[in-house]
Amino acid sequence: MFKNLFLGNTSINFYEKRKFLQNVLIIEVLFFLIVFVSASLGLLNLNFSVDFTGGTTYQFSSDYAKSDIDEILANEILEVSRYQTFENSSSILFRAVEGTQAQETQFLNYLANKFDINANEIEFQRVGPTFGQEITSSGIRALIIFLSFIVLLISIRFQFRFSIVALIALLHDLFICTSIYLLLNFEITPSTVIALLTILGYSLYDTVILFDKLRDSQRLNKESDLSIKTLNKTFNEILMRSINTSITSAVPIASILFLGNVIGLSGTLTDFALPLFIGIISGTYSSIFVTIPFLSKIINK
Amino acid sequence: MKRYFKLLFLPILAIGLFIYVQQTSLTPKLGLDLQGGISVILTADEETDPEVLQKAVEIMRTRIEAFGDVQEPEISISGNSAVLVQLPGVTDQERAIQALGATGLLTFRPVLDSSIDTGYSPAFQYIPNENDPDNPTKISVPGVDEEIGITISDNPNFDSYLLSIDQGYPVIYHLGPAELTGNDIEDAIAVYPENEWIVSLDFKAESEDKFTNLTKKLASEIGERRRLAIVLDGEIVSAPGIALDVNPDIGITGGTAAISMGNTDTGESANNLAVILRYGALPVSFERSSIQKVSASLGEDTLNLGLQAGLIGLIIISIIIILYYRLLGLVSVFGLSMFGLLFYSVISLLGKFQGFTLTLAGIAGIIVSIGLAADSYIVTFEKLKDEIKVGRSFEFAANKAVDDSWKTILTADFVSLSAAFLLYILAVGPIRGFALALGIATIFDLLFTRLYTRNSVPVLVAKLDNTRLMYPIKNKDITNV
Repeated sequence: MFKNLFLGNTSINFYEKRKFLQNVLIIEVLFFLIVFVSASLGLLNLNFSVDFTGGTTYQFSSDYAKSDIDEILANEILEVSRYQTFENSSSILFRAVEGTQAQETQFLNYLANKFDINANEIEFQRVGPTFGQEITSSGIRALIIFLSFIVLLISIRFQFRFSIVALIALLHDLFICTSIYLLLNFEITPSTVIALLTILGYSLYDTVILFDKLRDSQRLNKESDLSIKTLNKTFNEILMRSINTSITSAVPIASILFLGNVIGLSGTLTDFALPLFIGIISGTYSSIFVTIPFLSKIINK
Repeated sequence: MKRYFKLLFLPILAIGLFIYVQQTSLTPKLGLDLQGGISVILTADEETDPEVLQKAVEIMRTRIEAFGDVQEPEISISGNSAVLVQLPGVTDQERAIQALGATGLLTFRPVLDSSIDTGYSPAFQYIPNENDPDNPTKISVPGVDEEIGITISDNPNFDSYLLSIDQGYPVIYHLGPAELTGNDIEDAIAVYPENEWIVSLDFKAESEDKFTNLTKKLASEIGERRRLAIVLDGEIVSAPGIALDVNPDIGITGGTAAISMGNTDTGESANNLAVILRYGALPVSFERSSIQKVSASLGEDTLNLGLQAGLIGLIIISIIIILYYRLLGLVSVFGLSMFGLLFYSVISLLGKFQGFTLTLAGIAGIIVSIGLAADSYIVTFEKLKDEIKVGRSFEFAANKAVDDSWKTILTADFVSLSAAFLLYILAVGPIRGFALALGIATIFDLLFTRLYTRNSVPVLVAKLDNTRLMYPIKNKDITNV
């Protein structure tokens, strides 16, 4: 089995699997629909960080008891909307609404007194909602221009039909990430937005390499259109590269997640790493399994 | 021979640059999120003229330099109406805000009375009490602090009672409404003509008459009432008196004035006053839309996490690649190491000469690019295997594989490069750092594929005779297909 996989001699008939993969995709689409409909009904919420909603955060390390947290949630200086504690770490984070500067300073000193630490050791962050909105709106603008550009590029290099397939694979990865964030209620920070943009890059990169290989095989077999034989042969051959590449891409990111968890550092870097990790796995999957039902439709029988 | 030159070019360049960077002890310039500090985003009104914004940035820069002690402050316009201020190494928030100042409204206001003669604030009035001579009745002006008699919230359009530190002594002045503002000033410089420092002040042409009329009025007064207070954001910066030889019928004409600093000043106060006069008021008011404070320890932790994760990731990848691709794996691990050295050196050099700062987003971009660089080798090696499989000689297969995979990598990297380029142009803040790191890495990947991989693989493969040295597979298995 391994020898065959390695030689690219596995004889999986991908074309015959198209109906099955199509059904898997339909189930996935239904899943996305359910998630997004529940989100629009307010059953699930995207957990936006303070950068998007505006407000203040206070993070510090100290020993604490559950009663301390309850006391702080009930304080009369600032309304604390959320708190977060971390495994393997004595770090604790409070998120409060925006107040006057005097209130914020008072709250800072209150925390310092409560936990007997120096007020300078508290990481303080104050953000107006415009900052996150600016990142998001410029990100979305970048995304739209980027996608149009990609459609154009792939249409020139390959065919217009192929660019639509690439676009579908791309949206698939974006939806998977968004759904996971919705379902598990992970916090969305500006880093997450950046990571999502990167996922698009990965997904495309993978798909472009696949298309290139398809075109090479077509030339080798002197075909002007894609055939079942070429499709099967190409996907069998490319399997090993896909596996190896996703391993080499995922390992450094997995080590960030792993180390971050061991050290107890949940910060910007892990904010990047999580969506990237999901995206790489999903990108590898989509470039092979999501493209097959659509490429099969392109084939002239 | 030419082939060896090409394949060695990048490794030699990488090692050379790395040695140079080490010798000159350059390190990448770290962003605020990795070394600690304060980052403030100030947002002005949407329709602010870009030139006005540019002017405000210059004023802030001068202010921070004038207050000194901030290492490499970075102040830049971000987007249409926001100013991003980064003060690395600074964790004292008050200082940052002091250095930036709020709106910084500079006004000139006539002195009506002071505490110099009485010893108490002119906002207080004591009426002798006949029954109890030791406890006179105190009457205070509304809106002042009951204890010391200073106006609580100052409005330059009305009378105020403000504190001034005059040569070390506190004095409370009663000030009239503002007659001139910082906008009336054309220029101010500190000069040392003879024996003492003076601040030479130039008013704008359209404000000359206002200043002349004001000094006429003041010159007709005596004592404290000859003083003109310079007030910045409710604080008296200086309250110079009008010289005794100014004629009350003429005033100070010509739109220029000289403020004498007295012969005890060493130039420092004169310079500070000139800076405040020149740059006191920002031409536009800002709202602080974000303050981010990162302590040095958190920054260091994050940097270490990034470095450790990168290193561990690289080691694991190297082991996998060498186990799988054998000698070819060694070629790629050597190439990846050179890629790393070159990247490190170039980032250090960019930090020195272009002010490029390495942020967390940049580190994420680098980690992503390790994966992309490794993939270029995998694509080439898989191509080579396909060629050997169809029965071609090793040497021919290697040459064909590197040529074909170059085209694939060129297409794929072109997509990555356009993504990085578009992100860099269209995005703001941290996304830009990420895009730049990704873009640089992609260009390096192209260079390495073209020069290093394309020549080293055929050179090596031509000397081999067994697939076991390249893949975990026997000669007979691969050729029997």
